[in-house]
Amino acid sequence: MRFTLIKELRSDALMRPLLSGMLLFTGSFLVADIFLKRDHIGLDFATLSNTLYGNEEEFIEPVTEHFILELLHSDIFFMMMTLLTLAAVYARVCPLKRVAVVVINIVMAAGIADIVLLALAYYRGGGYLMPWLAAFWTWHGGALFMACASLLYLNVLRRI
Amino acid sequence: MHSAYRTAIGYFAVFALLLLGSGAVLFFSKIGYSSEAVTLYYLGNDESAGKSAYGLLETAVPHLGAMGLFIMVLGHFMLFAPNKAKRSAIKLTVTLLIAAALDIVSGPMIAVGYTFWVWVKLGAFAVLMLLGVLLALLILYFSSWHSLSPQRHRR
Repeated sequence: MRFTLIKELRSDALMRPLLSGMLLFTGSFLVADIFLKRDHIGLDFATLSNTLYGNEEEFIEPVTEHFILELLHSDIFFMMMTLLTLAAVYARVCPLKRVAVVVINIVMAAGIADIVLLALAYYRGGGYLMPWLAAFWTWHGGALFMACASLLYLNVLRRI
Repeated sequence: MHSAYRTAIGYFAVFALLLLGSGAVLFFSKIGYSSEAVTLYYLGNDESAGKSAYGLLETAVPHLGAMGLFIMVLGHFMLFAPNKAKRSAIKLTVTLLIAAALDIVSGPMIAVGYTFWVWVKLGAFAVLMLLGVLLALLILYFSSWHSLSPQRHRR
């Protein structure tokens, strides 16, 4: 978190490429996670429903409770580390501080909703699948926006 | 400290509570909270096989990387808390690191036959959960209702 204390972040010979590299990796992670989730559990109502509850007509078994718990457990860890780092960089480089607070609130809240809603969808039923999809796309979209905006502020738009 | 940082730290504490909660549910669901259940999970019996060396490594390796990082990141936010809370946080964080190490090591120790380590496993896990929740709640409190200030840290 040293970058939170450096005054001229854009002209810092070490921190600028380091942060830019980290942001590129984070953006790639977010995009790759979308493809991974699409293959792993599905990102549309029908596939998700088949994954979580199975489908007797198509002989698809539902996933086990351990599968969901392990998925949630590892997802929480990656989400918390990724979103914290991303939020810290975005809050530091975004000149519109109020916008930064709003964006961080939306992304973090959507991230937490993603975890809670997937658990609810598994234990309580299909009514939580669409809200989960909304939360999933919101936090992925928001986090990608934070990564792209930080890259722009850091390298193109203006002195920080 | 700018409110954007405080917001992110507050949410991080909520994520930490969810991580600890999912860990506790996973432990209960996969292993169980009795000494017999833990012994059965690692050593097996006539009907079920115990944990293989690969299975032990599969669990231990990600936890070795993740737990140290998780406790360090969670604990370092207490650097910005008032001095009195900071002193307690040092003891809390060191205890958490020791509990996490014992929790990870105890699995292989039980699997090679040291059944006393079942109690170490259960004790370390309980300490890890209780102190982890306490630390996350403290950070949530300081980020939401109290002041977290980098000025205090630099002094």
